[in-house]
Amino acid sequence: MSSSRALVLRAAAAVVIMIGYADLVRGGTVLAPLALVLGYLVVVPLSFLVE
Amino acid sequence: MATAASGHDLRPSYRAAALTALAVLGLYVVTLAPTTAMWDASEYITAAYTLGIPHPPGNPLFVLLGRVASLLPFGGVAYRVNLLAAVCSALSAGIWFLVAERVLAQWLALRWVRVVGAGLAAVLSATAFTVWNQSVVNEKVYTVSLAFFAVVSWLTVLWCDDPDGRRADRILVLVAYLIGLGYTNHPAGFLVAPAVATAVIVRRPRTILRWRLIASGALALVLGLTPFAFEPIRAAHHPALNEGEPTGCTDRIGVACTFSDTTVRRLMANINREQYGKPNLAERQAPFSAQLGMWWLYFKWQWLRDPYGTQRPLQSMLAFMFLGLGVAGGVVHWRRDRASFWFFGPLVFTVTFALVYYMNFKYGASQAPELAGVEREVRDRDYFYLWSYSAWSVWAALGLVALWRLAAERMGQGARWSWTAPILLLGALPLVGNWRAASRAGEWATREWARDVLNSVEPYGVLITGGDNDTFPLWYAQEVEGVRRDVTVAVTSLLNTDWYARGLLRRPIERYDEAGGPAVYRGRRWPVPTRPIMSLTTAQLNAIPDYLDVREPQLFQQGEIRAVVDPRRLEFGVPLRSDILVLQMLKDNLGARPFYISRTTAGYAQSLGLERHALVQGLVTKIAPSPLAAGRDTVAVQGLGFIDAPRTLALWRQYGAPAAIVRRGEWVDRPSAGIPALYTSTALVLAQALEQQGRSPDAHRIREAGLDVAEAAHITDWFVGPEPIVPPPATGSDVRRGTPVPASP
Repeated sequence: MSSSRALVLRAAAAVVIMIGYADLVRGGTVLAPLALVLGYLVVVPLSFLVE
Repeated sequence: MATAASGHDLRPSYRAAALTALAVLGLYVVTLAPTTAMWDASEYITAAYTLGIPHPPGNPLFVLLGRVASLLPFGGVAYRVNLLAAVCSALSAGIWFLVAERVLAQWLALRWVRVVGAGLAAVLSATAFTVWNQSVVNEKVYTVSLAFFAVVSWLTVLWCDDPDGRRADRILVLVAYLIGLGYTNHPAGFLVAPAVATAVIVRRPRTILRWRLIASGALALVLGLTPFAFEPIRAAHHPALNEGEPTGCTDRIGVACTFSDTTVRRLMANINREQYGKPNLAERQAPFSAQLGMWWLYFKWQWLRDPYGTQRPLQSMLAFMFLGLGVAGGVVHWRRDRASFWFFGPLVFTVTFALVYYMNFKYGASQAPELAGVEREVRDRDYFYLWSYSAWSVWAALGLVALWRLAAERMGQGARWSWTAPILLLGALPLVGNWRAASRAGEWATREWARDVLNSVEPYGVLITGGDNDTFPLWYAQEVEGVRRDVTVAVTSLLNTDWYARGLLRRPIERYDEAGGPAVYRGRRWPVPTRPIMSLTTAQLNAIPDYLDVREPQLFQQGEIRAVVDPRRLEFGVPLRSDILVLQMLKDNLGARPFYISRTTAGYAQSLGLERHALVQGLVTKIAPSPLAAGRDTVAVQGLGFIDAPRTLALWRQYGAPAAIVRRGEWVDRPSAGIPALYTSTALVLAQALEQQGRSPDAHRIREAGLDVAEAAHITDWFVGPEPIVPPPATGSDVRRGTPVPASP
């Protein structure tokens, strides 16, 4: 079963990635890549590793 | 404390690995390209900067990472994106350090010996020619893939250590996620999957029966693939680079057009790289032995790059030595750390033999030059084996450590490691031998080439190009550096696709910046075009066939132009979609925009029957609205046609690439040496024209300057000597020129 820390990280990953896509839809070229890279390459992997 | 069965301390030396990675990064920064380079570098840098879509599959993860890199607060845009490649490869070197140390820890008791051996693996893998050369410019997305391979490798090694531990399942799910994510950088991301599967099946076969874990892994893999959503969303905004146009939205993003059949069809065509239409694997493009021969040719390059063929015996000797060391290292790996071998061995196999079979290349551009008439790749493809050579370097380092140990044991009275350590200097040979060829420090020629070509075109001109090297650098100059955005560049190889011409129609007309343009265009009035580049509607564009099955000469007539288009002079023997569109653009722009064909296209103007209108102006050929005749400025040169001598001289004096090529004094990539050759041939032809005009001193200076370029690029023999070689076309393209056409009417 996932710990609360892992759940928080997964929720954070979902939020960060959604912000990225929302900005991308808007036509953003700065926040979108920053958020998507942070979400996909940092927060999601951390959420898998944390107990 | 983690210990091996041998009782050795297994704790990874993370600090030493980090320091090694930093040292490798330092090496890469010292040898980093300051700007763009030939082939795909300009395309990827432009895609990153504009957050656009590069050629299929579109590489969304790379574009996102590249865009973030382009936002760094130092250096130019290209330098920042190049730095991304350097960081990825340095990270990989640090991880190979950890993998090598893990193998050595199962075998050797002395920690410092293990650390030295691991450092050797990192240095060798970082200085193998292709790894180094690809890490100092962002020419491809493969250094990002290499970083993914390395991270997955280390995670799998950790899993193999303790497949039943509490962390094991989480690591496996993360590995599945990273494999999916790596695929969104490049399909090669999946190449690591067979090795992971082998390790899991051998180390803990029951794992594949744990359906909850398998389902979690599958979900994680799918999550890793979701960055592909970037493509249709971003494409709907129609960025400057929108290859494949994976959207059904024509002007603005919307829910209905984004979730349309058109978007799905175009996105899948992009992801599956349908544009390239690779043949079935059963249809070999060259014998498998020749394809292995290509791998071996590039393997030889790794330890001593010898671009001009002056040290072949030494190069071959080193290649056999590193081949033997790698085999020895593989045996050491098998005997000393079976658990991680079951991952690493299959990885080496997959990125070597399986990849050679899968890529199914034609003969390499530099392979077996004595074979005439065989089909060849347009360029050397050593970069596809970057992972192979990087991983092989780890084994070569293990082999060298085995040699070191053997020598130490031969010293007697126990292992005299420090006395025999100089044997490790063999591992520094690629660092020394490859430095000059792998380094891209001070390489400005491509950036200058792009400016020179664009500045050869009069304001608001249309320029027809033929392939990668006469097009991508121009995209970079226009979209990243803002140079001559008034020029419309149209590349024939992409005009054969359905999406490219639609993008040309959308392209806004940009104002000519007279202050930033060449002096030769100053003080004149250049009317701003008011109409799009073509008079066709999108529906009419989409209706143009891939080719016309016309075999007889056809007359093209517009204004004073009467050109006989003879299909037999065209590349495929029939007019392709690109030929039709080029003539359409000529028709629509005659008198409204200056119309040019790049001289890199090797006589395309002539193949369209436009000889009497083709006027060389520097690096490009202008299509004059009226038939040409020799005059005061227009000089007829035998074998070339007409040259505008004063314009070409004025442009030549402003060109930046000749000085950049001479300063660098190297042109390592032989398939693109047609670029410096074009400068030399321009100088020689100009000199000939000036001679005809009685301007011998000017002619002499220009000729010497042109030959200096040839000497710097090591192509002097193409122009002087008993049998000068006809320079090859200056450009090639990875994009197929069109649909195969029937052989007879």
